[in-house]
Amino acid sequence: MKEIKFLFAIWKANLQSAMEYRISFLTQMFGMILNNFMYFAIWIIFFDRFEDVRGWGVNDMYVTFGVLASAFGLVSVFFGNTFMLSEVISKGRLDYYLSMPRPVLLHTVASRMISSGVGDFFYGFISYGLSGYLTWDGLARYVLAMLLAATVFAAFLILTQSLSFWFGMMSNFSNLVLNAMLTFGIYPITLFDSYAKLILFTIIPAALMGAVPAEFIREFTWQTLGQLLFGAVAFLGVAILVFRLGLRRYESGSAIQIEV
Amino acid sequence: MKTFAKYWSIFQITLINSLAYPGELVGRSLMIIPFMWIFYQLWKVTYGAAGAEVIGGLTLRDTMWYLMLAETIELGRPPLARTMSENVKDGSIAYILNKPYDFLLYQFSTSMGETIFRAIVNALFGSLTVWFLVGAPAQPEGFIIALPAIIGAWTLHFCINAMIGLSAFVVEDVSAFTWIYQKLSFVLGGMLIPLDFYPDWLQVIAKSLPFASAIYGPSRLFVTPSVELFVNVMSLQAMWILVLSLLLVAAYRSGLKQLTVNGG
Repeated sequence: MKEIKFLFAIWKANLQSAMEYRISFLTQMFGMILNNFMYFAIWIIFFDRFEDVRGWGVNDMYVTFGVLASAFGLVSVFFGNTFMLSEVISKGRLDYYLSMPRPVLLHTVASRMISSGVGDFFYGFISYGLSGYLTWDGLARYVLAMLLAATVFAAFLILTQSLSFWFGMMSNFSNLVLNAMLTFGIYPITLFDSYAKLILFTIIPAALMGAVPAEFIREFTWQTLGQLLFGAVAFLGVAILVFRLGLRRYESGSAIQIEV
Repeated sequence: MKTFAKYWSIFQITLINSLAYPGELVGRSLMIIPFMWIFYQLWKVTYGAAGAEVIGGLTLRDTMWYLMLAETIELGRPPLARTMSENVKDGSIAYILNKPYDFLLYQFSTSMGETIFRAIVNALFGSLTVWFLVGAPAQPEGFIIALPAIIGAWTLHFCINAMIGLSAFVVEDVSAFTWIYQKLSFVLGGMLIPLDFYPDWLQVIAKSLPFASAIYGPSRLFVTPSVELFVNVMSLQAMWILVLSLLLVAAYRSGLKQLTVNGG
């Protein structure tokens, strides 16, 4: 309870900070919504010409793209520092968080808000609304699937970026796996053979951020819910474990850091 | 001649500088490998489902080599607009503006210097991946024929990116504009789907725009080279470079009057 209050206090401060530059905030939010619409136009053109990819049509793409965008937006807004954790670790900026009487990982990842994520978050709901699958119970599943997909995504970012404890600055690697996750997440899962699917559920869990949540939103099954729950809990558990193991190795110089 | 030598030196310095961190250069370029692999999965299934060897004049092999060059052009270009925006935000623009060189030509020289090795390494990884997946390009000589169009494409990218960067003189943060430009390149430039697969009405519009001159033109020339296509691509590209350069110079002159330097 105490940590939840703490989280809300951080999020409130982040929002107030973003609102200092209101025009920039709104430009980024609406710019991102427009950006996503334009990107999705590719799939509309593709499916207009080729109709379906092994049973996967444009409506399925609306749901997949939507839930992935919302999950991405949610992590960007509430845990924006997950994208920069590698830099925080390798530049010795964890010192600040270690000196505070709060959980280090939670405090670190929640300390930044990426304004454009608000646009991603809302775009996802619009995309789902346009899919033709919109129902009240579907919307409830959308919210649940988004939360679980966001958990997998945040855990994946923490896990990969925590490797900086061992290997130092890894911005190229982090960008590579982030792009792979997002790229594979928005492509129809039916494209991939069983070996590729195994990779998309484990090493780069893009299926747990796009295809599986989309399947769960379209139709409730215990199997997809189980996959999502297991994926979220397992990845989060491993991410926290790796971060804690890495933290034991953490060392920093005497640089003076200012957190703003 | 002396003026040209100055910008040639700036280009050379940036070119050598871009090799200072080879690990970073290679690391950044690895991204093209998963992209090419996923494109292959998509188009293999699509060609199979369509039951056609050739779609829009392109075989699966042509499509993959087309996409390789399109990605190389896109991934090779440096984030000029973002850099210019950062320069305005942190005030370092003041140090660039008061040097004895033309601001736009300086940016062009550094931009091209940063592009060359990025593009070469991307092309290397992309080609190896595509070669492994579908074999050698049908007409390898297409690369030599497309080379002037590739350089023209980067010049076009520069004109548009610099205009976006200049908007930082007024709005400071240009990220929304860069996202939108990137998506226009994706959709109307034919970066993810060759424009030949589009509906006819959209093809006519898209092929006449600068985005297509920067991506589709050189990539299509690479896979299906011909004298007629070369003339078409180069003349359209030259026209857009001329128009956008004039617009860029006008935007720069007007932007200078509105620039507020924050610090430095």
